[in-house]
Amino acid sequence: MALYIVEADCISCGDCEPVCPTNSITEGAIVFKIDAKTCTECEGDFDIPQCVKVCPIDNCILPLEA
Amino acid sequence: MTSQDTLSRELALRIGLAARALPDTDAKRLFTVLTSCIGLPITEEKIGSLNLKTLKTAQEGELSDIDDALLKKALHILKHDVETVATRKPEIVSLGEGDMPGSVRIACASNDAVNVDGHFGSCSQFMVYQVSADETRLIDIRSTDIPDGLEVDDKNLYRAELIQDCQVLYMASVGGPAAAKIVKLGIHPIKLPSVESIADIIAQLQTVIAGTPPPWLAKVMGIEASERFRFEREATG
Repeated sequence: MALYIVEADCISCGDCEPVCPTNSITEGAIVFKIDAKTCTECEGDFDIPQCVKVCPIDNCILPLEA
Repeated sequence: MTSQDTLSRELALRIGLAARALPDTDAKRLFTVLTSCIGLPITEEKIGSLNLKTLKTAQEGELSDIDDALLKKALHILKHDVETVATRKPEIVSLGEGDMPGSVRIACASNDAVNVDGHFGSCSQFMVYQVSADETRLIDIRSTDIPDGLEVDDKNLYRAELIQDCQVLYMASVGGPAAAKIVKLGIHPIKLPSVESIADIIAQLQTVIAGTPPPWLAKVMGIEASERFRFEREATG
């Protein structure tokens, strides 16, 4: 389980990067991206994914289809 | 009083400004003098026929003590269009169907029509431009005045809805809740770190459009995802 950033909607504000408890978010060539291998959807750290909480755009950070 | 109903806004404004140019004269005093010499209704045509002599002798010389130079100045104000933001505004060019492909519509919160100097919630107008890589068109100027008689519960929502057709909004400042309402309507708000001219903002935007626009901008400009993919591959090398 992991989240991903919808490239077409991300505005590269960078707000999500520092709030990630597993440091899974980095700035990619185009927009920010989430490392699916390390993303835990904040389980064990927070009740809700922190990147989704701070992201200013609706439906920009979504769960990867398993 | 029905006579006042026929007085145009423009003439009423001129009378007010002309009265201000005269010592100890308010709009009412000047209005009374004008009524006595040209009668009601006061029209543009009748004002045009006024001269210094008629003004001085009107209503038993009510204004005869006033200096000729000041009266001339008042006459000039009465006879000429008042220059306001509304009359000074730059030319609006309409946008036809299919005009300017690959363009984005932007709104600039402005008070002076030249700079992005407005706070979202208090600016007097939104200047609306259509911008492509090589062309810019001022397509509308939208006053933020709420029309008489219109009940508006949420002023900020009303303002955001004024520019609902725009994809990007530039402003000098905006509050958090207002920004959320703007985003909800699908408009991308951009708060500038300092006051910049609209011309500079447009030039910057054109550089971005001509280069590799970020995905969110490409999306709102209607560039196909397949096209965007090309950008992505180029950018990632």
